[in-house]
Amino acid sequence: MQHPELIKQFKEKAQAVQAIVTEIETLDEAIRYAIDLTQKQGGKTIVAPGLGDEERLLLKNECEAAGLTLIEPPLRPQANNIHTALTIVDGGIAETGSLVLTSSSEDVRIATMLAESHVAVTTAGSIVPDTEALEGQLDAALKSDEPSYTAFITGASRTADIERVLAIGVHGPQELHILIWGGTPS
Amino acid sequence: MIKTAQDIKAYKKQLKEALGDKFLRTALDKFNTVYRENRPNVYAGIDFEGIRDDIAAGKDEALPHLMHMFDEFKAHAEKAGVQVHVAHDAQEANTIIAKIAADNAVQHIIKAKSMTAEETFLNNHLEKEGYKVTETDLGEWIIQLRGEGPSHMVMPAIHLSRYQVGDLFASVTKEKQNSEDIDQLVKVARRELRPAYLEADMGISGANFAIADSGTLGLVTNEGNMRLTTTMPRVHVALVGLDKLLPNLKSALRILKLLPRNATGQAITSYVTWIKGANECRSAPDDKKIMHIVFLDNGRLALAKDPVFAEALRCIRCGACANVCPIYSKVGGHKYGHVYIGAIGLILTLFYHGKENDRAIVQNCINCQACKAICPVAIDLPHLVKKTYQAVLNAEGKTPVKNLILGKVMRNRKFFHFLLRQAYLAQKPLAGKEPLIRHLPLFFGKKHGFRSLPVISRHPFRDQWQQLAKKVEAPQHRISFFAGCAIDFIYPEQGKALLELLEGSGVQVEFPMDQTCCGLPAMMAAEEETAKEVARQNIKAFAAGKQDYIVTLCASCASHLKHNYLKLFDLDSDKPAGLKAFTDKIIDFSSFMADVLKVDSSKFAGSDKKTAYHAPCHLCRGMEVVDAPRNLLKVAGLNYVPTRDEDVCCGFGGSYSVDFPEISAEILKKKLDNVEAVDPEILVTDCPGCVLQLRGGMDKRGSKIEVKHIAEVLAEAKKKA
Repeated sequence: MQHPELIKQFKEKAQAVQAIVTEIETLDEAIRYAIDLTQKQGGKTIVAPGLGDEERLLLKNECEAAGLTLIEPPLRPQANNIHTALTIVDGGIAETGSLVLTSSSEDVRIATMLAESHVAVTTAGSIVPDTEALEGQLDAALKSDEPSYTAFITGASRTADIERVLAIGVHGPQELHILIWGGTPS
Repeated sequence: MIKTAQDIKAYKKQLKEALGDKFLRTALDKFNTVYRENRPNVYAGIDFEGIRDDIAAGKDEALPHLMHMFDEFKAHAEKAGVQVHVAHDAQEANTIIAKIAADNAVQHIIKAKSMTAEETFLNNHLEKEGYKVTETDLGEWIIQLRGEGPSHMVMPAIHLSRYQVGDLFASVTKEKQNSEDIDQLVKVARRELRPAYLEADMGISGANFAIADSGTLGLVTNEGNMRLTTTMPRVHVALVGLDKLLPNLKSALRILKLLPRNATGQAITSYVTWIKGANECRSAPDDKKIMHIVFLDNGRLALAKDPVFAEALRCIRCGACANVCPIYSKVGGHKYGHVYIGAIGLILTLFYHGKENDRAIVQNCINCQACKAICPVAIDLPHLVKKTYQAVLNAEGKTPVKNLILGKVMRNRKFFHFLLRQAYLAQKPLAGKEPLIRHLPLFFGKKHGFRSLPVISRHPFRDQWQQLAKKVEAPQHRISFFAGCAIDFIYPEQGKALLELLEGSGVQVEFPMDQTCCGLPAMMAAEEETAKEVARQNIKAFAAGKQDYIVTLCASCASHLKHNYLKLFDLDSDKPAGLKAFTDKIIDFSSFMADVLKVDSSKFAGSDKKTAYHAPCHLCRGMEVVDAPRNLLKVAGLNYVPTRDEDVCCGFGGSYSVDFPEISAEILKKKLDNVEAVDPEILVTDCPGCVLQLRGGMDKRGSKIEVKHIAEVLAEAKKKA
């Protein structure tokens, strides 16, 4: 499959499970997006484990300007106080609209499980067609003796446990926002 | 607590209560239909059969090596900081887990959904030991609060209405709840359970996959509670059945293609998580999770070696065998399993929870094959249910009176047919001149009165054969007709319709007089020796014939003769001579007309009659014949109109409708409602058993819709010479 078609399929599949998908050209846009979303939802805090130093500083400054708090790791003491989690994920799976996220770090897990909204950035180039395309890489990681915790995340948390009626946002995030970075040539 | 009936009388009482639960019936009936109707969308672009067969073959290859895979898994997991245990039975598993809790000074335990923990009644054990245990999966939390077991393997609280959940949550939160708003009810669970994640010292999960070559667990979930359960507390214990061991990631990813699709109609669940080793955990000493994996045997290793039952270990717990089961949709999971629910539950209960808990429920299978067709790992569930029933009878050293009589009567064709002729005389005063008996004698009881019954024919087909037989010069096809009991003794006119239809087609028809009952009723009653004896008699009866095909008008006979005969003798060294030659020649009426004779519309005068069709279970699934009968209706010029649930059982199931008449009546009701909804003039099917059930039901409700065998309507539509 040609790459633009792959991105298109990824978008459609992710949207089919209520993820909100946007294409961005720079990482600054992701920071802006997270801040706008938090403000719009009346949230007060953002966490961003795994962000590079430069972006982290930018996010911190933007948060201050917007009257929000960037919670610094470790996140466990503030686990109950996270509104938005901004993460950079490892990639996406077009067939199902899933994100692939190495979450061996506890902070990444707490951020992406206990936030009200999860904003995930994936580079367009790291979106693969299906799980088969991912198998070699994942298998190699699992065969290392190092502990690891890898997640395929598809849409926000959900349940149909009451009368089989779909309800979004059970124990995990209530919204999943996906930002595809560098998908369209500028 | 789970209260599974220990005898058939208590079970029937429970069933009656369940049939009275209106919410349950409506909800599950709707689910049954919607689940099947969504399936083509869910599987668009996915080769279900191909992947299913690959998974089944992979599982079969791996099952003999469970302990080898366990050793491999253990070595890898230990290198990554995990302690791996094996528990021989449920008690040992519970003891190991309680000890882990004690060793780590645990007080509060949170749990993610695990059927294996349900199997060992782990919560009961831990609570008795003084631990606070909180289920965090929404459905599991609901049933924990109600003190119930799951009523579905994937949706444990599917038996409850929003109002029941609302009332429950109101009592938990001491606040009034708006039960109409399911979103708000879900948020109650989100709020109430949050503190548990932060407070608990130990999290218990199950696992969907245990990957041997890396020591990784794979978990397939939706709500997010499992990830929290395995992340927040300092101790993580995973309880995993040994049957979840897989050689590698590839086999797990293959299962992942079908598991969510079959279970909930999702292409993938919200979370698929791969946990390898003791990961970072800042509430644990050295910031490293204390992680234990307890593998449960509890009979699995013995099962893996069983030549018949090993395939039950292929099960990946998708729950679909319940989703499509017409009986489950009437009585719900608490009456259709013990811990494990649905067809697989009727089987596994014997092995994991003992014959006492299985002896009643295992009898409640109508053999419609819907579960077999949907199973993502190709388990022959209806076959194993009967085998399980037989194993229960053997274990108890009992033969029910019904089986004794069945064995005695069916093995002797002449005696059997003598009794059928006697029945003609006995029913005379009941039937009068009508072809149907509308009022059964009192000893039958009211519950059997949901359908009128046909009368035994005064002139069985076999008595008329001498007059009917015709010699065809230079025939193009030679066939032998297998009538089956229903056509021979109840509906000989259907057999005559076949002969009329074939006239002028160059087909020489023979009717071997020594043929007897196909034997399916014996197999349904787990009377395997009788079934085998009858099979030998039939194979012998047709051995001398020069037929190219053995044609039958009965879908149930067809699939029994073609497929079950081979299965019956599968493990025997002294197979009957000519077994394969016999089964190879079996063909159903519609396939013979459409595929062999290739009849076209020039043979038919046509008729514009609005015609509904009922697909017999043993034709559409048993023989996998789907298009032929529908095409024939169109070829004959009939105005075929599809109905909803066309391939769902009519509720007959032979002796099933006598053993469980109230359930049979409910299944029939849904079928007839669906047919009446399109307002046809005739309802056509290709099985005399279905004709019996459908015609009897239509007559009882005073409907004008005629019920006919497809051979009859085709004979009527044929151009007269």
